[in-house]
Amino acid sequence: MTEMNQGPNGRSGAFGDTVAMDLASGRAVDLAELYALDAVTDHERQAIEDYISAAPDTERLAFLERVRQARETLATTFRFEEEPPADLFNRIVAQLPDATTQRNDRQPNAGTISAPPATAAGTAGVDELAAARQRREERRRPGGARRWLAGVAAAAAIALGGVGVGSYLADQNDPVNQVIRAGDLREASVDVSAGGTATLLISASEDAAVVKMNDVPAPPEGKVYQMWLIPKDGSAPVSQGLMDEDALSKPAVVQGISSASALGITVEPVGGSQSPTLPTVAAAPLGA
Amino acid sequence: MTLLEAGSRADPTSRSGTAKDSPPGDLCLVVMETPNAPNAEASAAVTDPPADLSHRLALLLAGIAQGDQAAFAEFYQLTSRRVFGMARRVLIDPELSEDTTQEVFLQVWQSAAKFDPAAGSPLSWLMTISHRRAVDKVRSSQSSTDREAKYGASTQDIDHDTVSDEVGSRLEAEAVVRCLGTLTETQQESVRLAYYGGLTYREVAERLNAAVPTIKSRIRDGLIRLKTCLGVS
Repeated sequence: MTEMNQGPNGRSGAFGDTVAMDLASGRAVDLAELYALDAVTDHERQAIEDYISAAPDTERLAFLERVRQARETLATTFRFEEEPPADLFNRIVAQLPDATTQRNDRQPNAGTISAPPATAAGTAGVDELAAARQRREERRRPGGARRWLAGVAAAAAIALGGVGVGSYLADQNDPVNQVIRAGDLREASVDVSAGGTATLLISASEDAAVVKMNDVPAPPEGKVYQMWLIPKDGSAPVSQGLMDEDALSKPAVVQGISSASALGITVEPVGGSQSPTLPTVAAAPLGA
Repeated sequence: MTLLEAGSRADPTSRSGTAKDSPPGDLCLVVMETPNAPNAEASAAVTDPPADLSHRLALLLAGIAQGDQAAFAEFYQLTSRRVFGMARRVLIDPELSEDTTQEVFLQVWQSAAKFDPAAGSPLSWLMTISHRRAVDKVRSSQSSTDREAKYGASTQDIDHDTVSDEVGSRLEAEAVVRCLGTLTETQQESVRLAYYGGLTYREVAERLNAAVPTIKSRIRDGLIRLKTCLGVS
């Protein structure tokens, strides 16, 4: 073939026939792309790694940087997706080494969201993972919403308590944490007519507020609390969801507060209402 | 219908932005009971821009390194289609592809602590592990002739194998198609044969009846051109 053995920019890329020749002639760095692409044999891979590990810093770092960039390029370029069989995850879980028992002590928060029945130590990890998966599936159904409220409470309690916020469970993607870490956070507290108070942690920059009920009694039989945003433009209040007895102890995130003048809480029949039944049991101005 | 409209407005999960701002294993997507929330599941996997996905995957890997099974489950959910998809392209055989995917995620579980953000993105780390596994398996289980034949039969349209619907990655996918177009035909062919065919540079050279040094150059130059065009830094 007549193709020139040179890059378009006249790169000094005169490769030899073998990897050994390339290494011997000082072209190790130019092998980075072939290496990243796994386009070498195991034997050649080993030869390259041996060479690079003993190479001067500049050469080694240049090689590693080229490998890194090539791998990013490949991950970006070749992105074919196919759904694996539905049971594959469970098969993987069944193969996991039992690392759970000795690791659990390092993740104290996990216990609050996963409380599988006690099992033989040898299968605890598998069961817990299966349980986690089941929880995930339940979350996808509206009916499962309440089940994972405990997780919200765990993450938020940590965050509100000011300890352990570095935990990966309470990571910054968590909406509660996003709000309460905002630089412009301000706190407001309003009385609830039924008793207790509602505390609002408001962040204009996050366009959200965390609402926490304190010592508020459970709603009457057959009733729930419903939260509303009262739009500034005078349009109808917009429901922000329902709170039953269980949900009362959990912080709730209300988003999109910038267009609202106030947050209101009403008592409504179970299932909620399309518009608030007055009077409100609590109303908090959100004023900018 | 006023009622329906009010009902859908009353659904806090229907607000755009809520799901997007939340991790897919989200604890707070619906904080309160939401009877009007048939779409409570809004996977962040399909809406997150790549940067957010990277960030999320890195956090999950940190969790996995601590033995957090829920993090592992979420990581699998977000990435298994990529891993399995690549395995299928390289190995063709469904069972071998499943085996490979299984090995990859076991390795993720065991070596998540080795992930170093400074050394690359989580997806790059994962796909490096995956490709290596797939290539190892294909080389040990199939002759290169078989691989070439199967590769040829199965990869007519790699240009369009960006099947992802991710909003955030659609622009990226378009960039990929555009950037692949900046490579010469022979550069594209060589890189693809190596990546999806699992071929070594020497096997690529034999397959294309080209000189070995030439193929090495094509692969190197092709990837560098692709990297530059994609703005990989």
